[in-house]
Amino acid sequence: MHGKNVELDKVVMRFGGFTAVQQTSLEIRAGEFFSILGPSGCGKTTILRMVSGFIEPSEGRVRIGGDDMGGRGPARRPTALIFQNLALFPLMSNWENVAFGLEARGLDKRTRRERAYELLALVGLEGKEAQRPGALSGGQRQRVAIARALAVEPAVLLLDEPLSALDLKLRQYMRAELKAIQRKTGVTFIFITHDQGEALTMSDRIAVMRAGVVEQVGTTDEIYDRPATPFVATFVGENNVLSGTVAEADAAYARIETPLGPVRARNQDALAAGQRAMVFVRPERASLVNGHDLDNRLTGRFERRDLEGSYVNLFFTVGDQPFIVHEPNLDRQAALEGEVRLGFQADDAVAMRAGALDDA
Amino acid sequence: MRDLVRSYGKTLTTIFVALVCFWVLIMIVLPQAFMIEQSLWTMQRDSALGVKIDRAYADLATMNYDLGNARDESAKTALQAKIDALQAGISDMEQRETKPHKIYGLQNYTAMSGLHFRIFVKSIVYALAVTVLALLVCYPLAFTIAKLATPQRAALLLLGLVIPYAINELLRVYAWLMILDYQGVINSALEALGLVSFQDKTWVPFLEYSGSVFVALIYAYVLFMVFPIYNTVETLDKNQLEAAEDLGGSIWRTHWRVVIPHAKPGIAVGCIMTFMLSVGSYSVPQIMTRGKSGDWFSQLIYRQFFETQSWNLGAAYAFSLVLVCLVFILLMMKLFGVGIRDIAK
Amino acid sequence: MSTQAAGGIAVAPGAAAQSRGIDWSNVVLNAYILLFFVYLFAPLLVMSLAAFNAYDYPSVTQWRGWTLKWFDALAGDQRMIQGLLNSLVVALGVIGISLPLGLSGAFVLTRLQSRANTLLYAVLVSPLLMPGIILGISTLIFWKRFDVPGGLFLTVLAQASFIASYSMLLFMARLQRQDRDLEEAAQDLGASSLLLFRRITLPFLAPTIATAAVIAFLQSIENYNTTVFAIGGDWTLVTEIGSRFRFGLSPEINVIGVIFVAITIVAATLYVLFRKRELMAARAR
Repeated sequence: MHGKNVELDKVVMRFGGFTAVQQTSLEIRAGEFFSILGPSGCGKTTILRMVSGFIEPSEGRVRIGGDDMGGRGPARRPTALIFQNLALFPLMSNWENVAFGLEARGLDKRTRRERAYELLALVGLEGKEAQRPGALSGGQRQRVAIARALAVEPAVLLLDEPLSALDLKLRQYMRAELKAIQRKTGVTFIFITHDQGEALTMSDRIAVMRAGVVEQVGTTDEIYDRPATPFVATFVGENNVLSGTVAEADAAYARIETPLGPVRARNQDALAAGQRAMVFVRPERASLVNGHDLDNRLTGRFERRDLEGSYVNLFFTVGDQPFIVHEPNLDRQAALEGEVRLGFQADDAVAMRAGALDDA
Repeated sequence: MRDLVRSYGKTLTTIFVALVCFWVLIMIVLPQAFMIEQSLWTMQRDSALGVKIDRAYADLATMNYDLGNARDESAKTALQAKIDALQAGISDMEQRETKPHKIYGLQNYTAMSGLHFRIFVKSIVYALAVTVLALLVCYPLAFTIAKLATPQRAALLLLGLVIPYAINELLRVYAWLMILDYQGVINSALEALGLVSFQDKTWVPFLEYSGSVFVALIYAYVLFMVFPIYNTVETLDKNQLEAAEDLGGSIWRTHWRVVIPHAKPGIAVGCIMTFMLSVGSYSVPQIMTRGKSGDWFSQLIYRQFFETQSWNLGAAYAFSLVLVCLVFILLMMKLFGVGIRDIAK
Repeated sequence: MSTQAAGGIAVAPGAAAQSRGIDWSNVVLNAYILLFFVYLFAPLLVMSLAAFNAYDYPSVTQWRGWTLKWFDALAGDQRMIQGLLNSLVVALGVIGISLPLGLSGAFVLTRLQSRANTLLYAVLVSPLLMPGIILGISTLIFWKRFDVPGGLFLTVLAQASFIASYSMLLFMARLQRQDRDLEEAAQDLGASSLLLFRRITLPFLAPTIATAAVIAFLQSIENYNTTVFAIGGDWTLVTEIGSRFRFGLSPEINVIGVIFVAITIVAATLYVLFRKRELMAARAR
């Protein structure tokens, strides 16, 4: 088994008058763990279905390993799909489920059975071969689905939010498991999710989608540290937002006039004076002013302190806006009250053209 | 259709579509169409034609006689042409006389005698009465089983309903024949009480009354009302009943405002099935009347086909029955505000 | 609610308020149900009892002692036995035709996304909403044009025209509960449409196919109103019973009734036991 690359070349998908996916070009590299992240209805499942062959794009091409997939149904593509509800065949035993793709390829029963047992062993399900999926736990069913998909030796494995039905503990365990299987097999994984935690922990690269448009493609660090749009900035991880107008700008930094006073931030979008802008600051990059020399300073009214374990969430109101600061869990915040001085470095803040935020 | 091909492929889809076409055309639509067509014509011998042919033969004889006396050659030819034409006309008429021809029209429908029309109306009225009575009897029953009995009790009661439902309709009707017969169960009871005497034949002749057919119709088809209503009431969320009660609704109001609106499709189906079965039943009147009292409409239809061999009239009667059922179905759909998809489930 | 606590089968809404004293609505409903069941079963009892009466005319009131001679008479009744065989042949034919038709209709209707869908649906269920005699008559008239006379063949066609609708409704109900993802999963794994049909769709439908076959069998065996028009010179068990009513009545018919009642009760009991085991198995999981 080895992965192949997947190219979406200017694909568009329309359903009647509704455009589910606007013109999109993407390249997913061979053997990488690629996530498509976005809220429900953003078009990520549509992209998955175009790659798997259940739908043909209205415009553009899908290529896998350089081969044009146009006109090829799901049965004739080197992909395997893991469904959100897993879609295990309830009336077949686990090994028959895994062997189904081989049955479709006309392999004899002995070979099928051997191969299926091997794969079930690979995912840690020895002894469960003859049972039916209904007799398994959620996590075990997940593994049967993975084994079934791997049985056809796909070059690309497509996963449609397969972890969403699991409880939190199992979900975290399966993340590591999936990542390990991907490493072991070298198959290209395309993972669809609305959960940014899932995407950030497992992926090599992520595409963030909103309303049929890919807003940003990048490594997990890029997505987190250098969000390209206000939506990405707010959808992936937490962010404090300050809105205002650019007062002055150069290639590196911009000074934005906000109702809370001027703020200096990295000028990512090459903003010019007079433009509407948004400044984003991650809560962990903001801090209380304890003698630090910070580029930007604000005064906020302390609201409350939520303990998260190793760190704490400090909630403030700045002007009439909420502002969150993550601090290491130290005793010193216990005494906070009233007006508090906050701040952040210009390098830790990014200014970008005003746009849609994640409304959730 | 594309959906079908995508799932099952071209071969299977073709088979499915071909089978459906066969079913629709050969087993449903064309038989109905042929029945309607058959009801729209009568075979007729032209009785006036015989007189016409006789007159033509007389004319022919005269002309032949004239031909013999004609001297002028041209007059002869003209006369010969006339004779030929007449002869052709006669053979044509003769052919038509021996071979009757179809006349299309509504005569089969308008030809219904007063007696037959009265039977037609009687059958409809009795079927309506059966439907109403069955509804009144079955609604409380279906509701009780569906919502008030414990699950085990309900299963047992349903089984109790299924058993008579599964026994042949002829035999069920036959049971009532035994009860209502001259020396049947009821008359025997009356005799035991000294009210009638078998020796003097003063028994009550139940079987000679239309009421006995009515009793048997109810018995034969009442269960077709229970099951559809039960099935819809069963899906009603019990919390709705409790909510209605909690809000202070009386039993009647709860039923009127909550249960009946929910059960509408079931009530509509029950009414349609009961009416259709009653109005079109051949078995019940056949067994209960046994020639001792007047025919029902279904029996009239049977006679047209198998006794008097007037299929055209029979087809017209049959189609009238179809129309009655169709009107009833549309009426029920309108009355209960349900569509065809709610009905046939 | 106090349904269970009261221990009765019926507690009318509002009854909880009057938990002390006699719950009259409960009594009335119980009495009503009891009465209804007496109404349902008493005639069957009368009919069954007469099968064992030595009197020559079916009766329970002119009791001439117990006998089994009518069973012997039935066993020697060639026309009845031939009728039963004919009924079985017809029933098998009906199953053979109506199941494929019903299945095809269900597939087409569940997948056809067109305004014609409702029309097709209406046409395909119309035989259920039409009196049975009409189906017999129209089949008879149609095939008369092709010089096919009434008989077992026309009976099969006439019965199948509406029994197929029953099967179709059963299949549609099942198909509506089908998980379309299973189909897509199979296709994604490379299954051809035939393999998909054989390994996924048919196993999914198998219980319904069995149910539909049983229902088709029962419907066919029991049918009278349609059959009597299409049967021509042949006869089935039920048309033979029907024709006996025209001539002298004999307790032989009561014997048939007893057999029907017995078979039904045995079948119902088996069904209950089977279901009970199924339920227990489901609960054990």
